[in-house]
Amino acid sequence: MNALLTSAVAGLTAGGTYALLGVCAVFTYRLVAVVNFTGAAIGTAGTFVLIALYEAGFPLWPSVLAGIAAGTVVGVAIGFIMTRWFGEASASTKAAVTVALLVGIIAIGLRLTGGQHPHNMPELFPGSAFRMAGVEVTIASVLTIGLAALFTILADLFLNNTKVGLNLRALADRPMAAELLGIRVQMLSLLVWGMTGAFTTFALMIIAPQRSPNFMTLSLLVVPALAAALVGLFRSFWRTLAGGIGLGLVEGMASSVDSVSQYRSAIPFLVVLAVLLWSQREARWDEAR
Amino acid sequence: MKRASLKASLVVVIAAIVLGGVIAGLLPSYWVFLSTSVLITGVALQSLGLVAGRTGMIALCQMSFAGVGAWTVGYLNLAEAPGGLAVWILIGGLAAVPLGVAIGLPALRLRGINLAIVTLSFATAFDTILATMTYPGQTDFLQVPRPELFDSDEGYFVFVLLFYVVIAVALEVLSRSRLGASWLAVRHSERAAAAHGVSIATAKLSAFAISAFVAGISGGLLAGYLGTLVSENFSMMQSLSLYAVAVMTGAHFAEGAIIGGLLVVMFPEILRRLDLPQDIGNVLFAIGATQALSTGETMSETFRRQVRKLMPARVKAAASALASDLPAPVSRAAGPALSIENLTVRYGSVVALDGVSLTVAAGTVAGLIGPNGAGKSTFIDAVAGFLSSYEGSISLGGKPLEGMPAHQRARAGLRRTWQTNRIAPELTVGGYLALAAKGLSASETKAILGWLDCPDPDTLVVSVDAGTRRLLDVAGVVAARPAVVLLDEPAAGQSHEESVRLGQRIAEIPKLFGSAVLLVEHDMDLVRAVCSEVTVLDFGRVIASGPPAKVLDQGSVKKAYLGIEEESVAA
Repeated sequence: MNALLTSAVAGLTAGGTYALLGVCAVFTYRLVAVVNFTGAAIGTAGTFVLIALYEAGFPLWPSVLAGIAAGTVVGVAIGFIMTRWFGEASASTKAAVTVALLVGIIAIGLRLTGGQHPHNMPELFPGSAFRMAGVEVTIASVLTIGLAALFTILADLFLNNTKVGLNLRALADRPMAAELLGIRVQMLSLLVWGMTGAFTTFALMIIAPQRSPNFMTLSLLVVPALAAALVGLFRSFWRTLAGGIGLGLVEGMASSVDSVSQYRSAIPFLVVLAVLLWSQREARWDEAR
Repeated sequence: MKRASLKASLVVVIAAIVLGGVIAGLLPSYWVFLSTSVLITGVALQSLGLVAGRTGMIALCQMSFAGVGAWTVGYLNLAEAPGGLAVWILIGGLAAVPLGVAIGLPALRLRGINLAIVTLSFATAFDTILATMTYPGQTDFLQVPRPELFDSDEGYFVFVLLFYVVIAVALEVLSRSRLGASWLAVRHSERAAAAHGVSIATAKLSAFAISAFVAGISGGLLAGYLGTLVSENFSMMQSLSLYAVAVMTGAHFAEGAIIGGLLVVMFPEILRRLDLPQDIGNVLFAIGATQALSTGETMSETFRRQVRKLMPARVKAAASALASDLPAPVSRAAGPALSIENLTVRYGSVVALDGVSLTVAAGTVAGLIGPNGAGKSTFIDAVAGFLSSYEGSISLGGKPLEGMPAHQRARAGLRRTWQTNRIAPELTVGGYLALAAKGLSASETKAILGWLDCPDPDTLVVSVDAGTRRLLDVAGVVAARPAVVLLDEPAAGQSHEESVRLGQRIAEIPKLFGSAVLLVEHDMDLVRAVCSEVTVLDFGRVIASGPPAKVLDQGSVKKAYLGIEEESVAA
């Protein structure tokens, strides 16, 4: 029992990261109507800037800041492509574009970082925060979950309680209409992309030491992130938060059971399958067509 | 087989014989070896083109299906199953089918993006599973043997070419069939497809099943090509980059799949010879796919457009045919064809329709009019089965329709048209009619098109003007000769002369096709001219019904339309 609890708690850091990435995905979807497959790749780019600077001997914390700045820039760059050329495109075209961009980013990333070549990723927040029922809870897990919760609260407040948020929600599908209302859509969209870029970069920096830090593995963390977002049906931030943390816990537990631990990366797939089958109980037609 | 498919198939076969002969006969072995790889990638791309290109879904686990096919071939080889490689490859393709269907299931009712997430997460899961299981025979260095006849590099090239040609021809025939038309229709508008009696589930799942089968075959071919395989051959990254290539070149075209295969195989080869890193290829594919998505045109489509420009323009005449070629009307019993009682529809607290009753007698044209927002479109949606719930009863020829989804109502004999154009632009006019009416002969198709002044069957819908597309919509529903036709503002956007002519045609529908008509229209001249009964809706209620001459002169009707009181009308 205690072993299971220990491994579940060990999954908390991953859970917090999934949750944060998932909440960012929902945020992006609700504000700029893009299901973003490059989410984790943007953060990965920033993380590797940190690694490169750190390996070159720069001090840690300035490198972290530079990494976050780089993630923000990459986010804004992708946002620029999406708003400049695909502002009025359909949701599935936009998703297809981010898939294509993901292919390109991973290829460039692998090239620049030397493929599977092992890197020295500093642990930003080593040590444990507190003990709970005899199990150490790490600072990293408290931090990722805290950050995810903070982002959830902010996103919820912004969308429900500010005028700009309300307008954007109503008009996410029709940027042109928002433009006519006097909202600076382009500016705001880029802000959304930059902000999610910064947050995901920070989350990935925390989880990177736990994973094999190669560019592709980290970029593909988008899979559990989107699974979490699906748990929230791309609408509810709180459910996405819960979905992400839950996913991490289940993965943690699975890793302690020998017979299934090898297959634990199949868990997001099972979650996605279950959520989709459950959410489409009632027939619905594709929107307005 | 239709004439057009025969012609296209012949082109593929002749091109294959010529190019195959040149490559296998003249090129050095190394290039033959590379060309085989091009063809295998081409097969995988064709499978992807089916789901991504034709039905417009984002599928990111195509190489996983290929992996299933390859694994099956490896397993059969290890188990020394009878039949040899060709049979094993087919079994490998079949093994991928159940997986394709299972993964297609979550995408049945929700659109593309969910499928992208499912397929991507499946590809991740499959990566781990395959890496853990290892490829059969991998540890014992057991090679998958090629058939004796095709053992050399040249021989195996011919073997793969045979598979490629058979698949290309089969897909060509399929794409021109009603099933193929239904894929395009589903991609363009699921509602419109269902209104023609197409089952969305069957259309999507069949696309997925066939696509998985073809992908499985490409995996089997790869097994024979390389002898032994590792899980990296089928990694998620391969699936992702294959998707980018498919989007870039248009893999649902025969030339698109080959161009894609050439890019995937030859680009790294060129980079290698130039001493450049080979993974730059993926960056190029990403840029190419983004470019194709932003212009909405794949390389194949650009290519075809340029070729068309070079060809001398042929003047497409309106379809001319004899009226006697029209399909014979279906004779039906007299009495009510469609009867609706107490139909009530609520959207939350808003009552869109409030106890509407209406009967359309067989062999007649009835009208349904009312100002904007009166509930006419809601009425049609409810009757045709596009609303999730309503109260009241709807029966077609005495048979209740409750509980039947839209495509079953359409098959039962209740057809509708749409206010906005929903015809897939990639279809030909003839292909659209074949989709709308199963089993229509060529002369019947021409006759119906001629009857409504629609263009020749070979014309692409994309080149037909908006007004004519609306007529085409009408042609589609009457061609099916259903019991009841619901026409939703067919005269909108037509000139006065066109609308008069259309009125004459609509009046002929019951006699020529045996269908009763319910016409929803704003054009009062048209309604007066063709309807024997008119029902007027306002704010979801029936405010008048009866013969048009009487109903249209009622004060309440004038008030609803013109917003003026009875007294001032009288004055």
